[in-house]
Amino acid sequence: MIRIPTRVLVVDDEQDFVEVLSLRLKETGERVIPAHSGKECLEILSEKTIDVVILDIKMPGMDGIETLREIRKKYPLVEVIMLTGHGTTETAVEGMKLGAFDYLLKPAEFDDLSEKLEAARQRKDDQEERIRKAEAKLLLRRSGDI
Amino acid sequence: MENIRLLLVDDEENFRRPLVKRLTKRGMPPIEAASGEECLSILAETPVDVIILDVKLPGMNGIETLNLIKKQYPATEVILLTGQATTRDGVEGIKSGAFDYLTKPIELEHLIGKIKQAHEKVRRLEEQKKESEFRSKIEQQMIATERLASLGTLATGMAHEINNPLAIINEAAGWMKLILKKKELAHIPRKEDFEMALEKIVKSISRAKRITHQLLGFVKKNESVFSEVNLAKLSDEAIQLVHREAVNKDVKINLEFDASLTSIWSDPYQLRQVFINLLTNAIHAGVAGGKIDILLKEEDNMVSVFVRDTGEGIPQENFDKIFEPFFSTKSPGQGTGLGLFVTRGIIERLGGTIDVESRLGQGTVFCVKLPIHSEIKDELNGEDHFFDLLNKLKGEKSHDPNTDTGAGR
Repeated sequence: MIRIPTRVLVVDDEQDFVEVLSLRLKETGERVIPAHSGKECLEILSEKTIDVVILDIKMPGMDGIETLREIRKKYPLVEVIMLTGHGTTETAVEGMKLGAFDYLLKPAEFDDLSEKLEAARQRKDDQEERIRKAEAKLLLRRSGDI
Repeated sequence: MENIRLLLVDDEENFRRPLVKRLTKRGMPPIEAASGEECLSILAETPVDVIILDVKLPGMNGIETLNLIKKQYPATEVILLTGQATTRDGVEGIKSGAFDYLTKPIELEHLIGKIKQAHEKVRRLEEQKKESEFRSKIEQQMIATERLASLGTLATGMAHEINNPLAIINEAAGWMKLILKKKELAHIPRKEDFEMALEKIVKSISRAKRITHQLLGFVKKNESVFSEVNLAKLSDEAIQLVHREAVNKDVKINLEFDASLTSIWSDPYQLRQVFINLLTNAIHAGVAGGKIDILLKEEDNMVSVFVRDTGEGIPQENFDKIFEPFFSTKSPGQGTGLGLFVTRGIIERLGGTIDVESRLGQGTVFCVKLPIHSEIKDELNGEDHFFDLLNKLKGEKSHDPNTDTGAGR
C-alpha cells in the first residue's frame, strides 16, 4: 500500500532544528516545508495546503500561542502539534485548550512525534471526510429539489 | 524572682554563718565555701551565677581565686569583699574582671542590690549569647537557602537552553540512523562503527535529557493534585517499584507502621517520587546483605517517615552538600545529583521538612516530617517571606552601629 505523505509545516526559530527535523521527516516519507517564525508560518499557510503544523512555543516576535490563535482562526482544519523546551507544560495545555492537537517536550522521541503526527493527520482526514459527505448530501438534496 | 545560684566564700565562720542566714531569709540561699580551693572544687561540679568572694583568704587568696574563676568560668560574676585597709585589692579585682567590690563591714541591702545587679548581668549575657547563636544559625540556614535558590534558578535556566541544541543533536542522530538503514547503504564499509557511534550519541542524549527534564520538573508548579494519601500503602508501592534493584544488591526492605496511622492530605505522585528517591539512595548506599527500615509514625498533626539504611554513611565533608543540585558521589552517568535536591523541594512545597543523621560505617537515617493536612505552598510567597526575613536581618545588622553612635552623641 502506498502511504500518502503528510504535508508538515515545521516552525521553529532554531534554523538547525528545523533543518534536521525536516530531513528526518522527509526520510520517513513526509512532505516538509520549513518556517522560522510565526509570520512565515502564516504566509506559507496562505499559499500552500498543509495537514499538520509542528509549532515551537518559544519564538521571538509572534510566539507559538499567538501563531496558534491565528491558525485556528484562519485555517481551522489544520492540526497543530506544539513543541516546548519548557518543563512547565502550562503553556502547552493552554495551547491545547485553544485547539492544538497535542504537545511534545523537546527533545522529543521521534516515535512519539511520528505517532502524534499520524494521529493528527488522521483527525484532519476524518474531519474532511465528514465535510465532504455533508457537502455531498447537500448537493444531492439540492439536485433533488430541481 | 528566679533563683540566683549564689556562692559565698569566706574563711571566717563567724562572718559567713550570719550572712548565710540573712541571705537565705531574703530568698537567696548561698552555697558556702571556706577557701579559694573549696570554691573552685564546688564550681567544678555546680554551676553558679554570682560569687561573693572574700579577698583575704588563707592559702590561695581572693585575687588569685578570682583570676582562676574568670579564666575557667567567664560567665560567672564575682563580688569581692575587702577589709577597710585592703580597698586597693578591690580595685585590683575589678581590673581582673570582678563585678564590683564591697568593703567590710557590709550593709545587707547594699550586698543584695549588688547581687541582683550581678545576676542581671549574667542573665543578660546569657540571653545575648543564646540570641546570637540562634541568629547565626538562622543566617547560616538562609545563606544555604539563598545559595540553593540561585543555584536552582541557574540550573533550570541552563536546562532550558540546553534542551534546544539537544533537540537538534537528537534529530540529526535520528536522521543518520534512518539513512544508514536505507537499502543503498546496506553494504558501506565500517557500517557497524557508524551504528555503534550513533547508538552512543542517542544514549547520551537521553542521559542529558533525563537531567534537564528532572531539573525542569523541579520548577514545575501548580500541577499538584491533592488527595487522601495512605502513607503505608504508598511506601509499599514504592518498595515494589525499587524491588528489583534491592534484590540485585541483596538489600532487604522492611516496612513498619502504627496500625492507627491516619491518612494525610497531600500529593501522592510527588510523595511517591520522594519515597522512590529516598529508597533508591538507601539501596545504593547499602552494602550487600544490608537492610533498609521504613518507619511511619504519627505525632502532633505530623506524620514522620524514617528511612534508615545500614550503608556506608555520609562523610562529614559531604554533609552540607547532599541537598545541593548536581552533588553526587556516584560515578558520572550513574546519578544526576538531583535526587535529594528535588526530594527536598517537593517536601518543602508540601509543607514538610527533611532531616538527616548519619554515622560513617553504620548507616544513614532520613527523617521526613509531613503535615497531616498540607496545603501547597505558594512558592513566590515563600520567597517573599524569606527575603523579608533576610532584609530584616541585614537591616538590623547595619542599624546596630548607628544606634551606638546615636547614644554616644
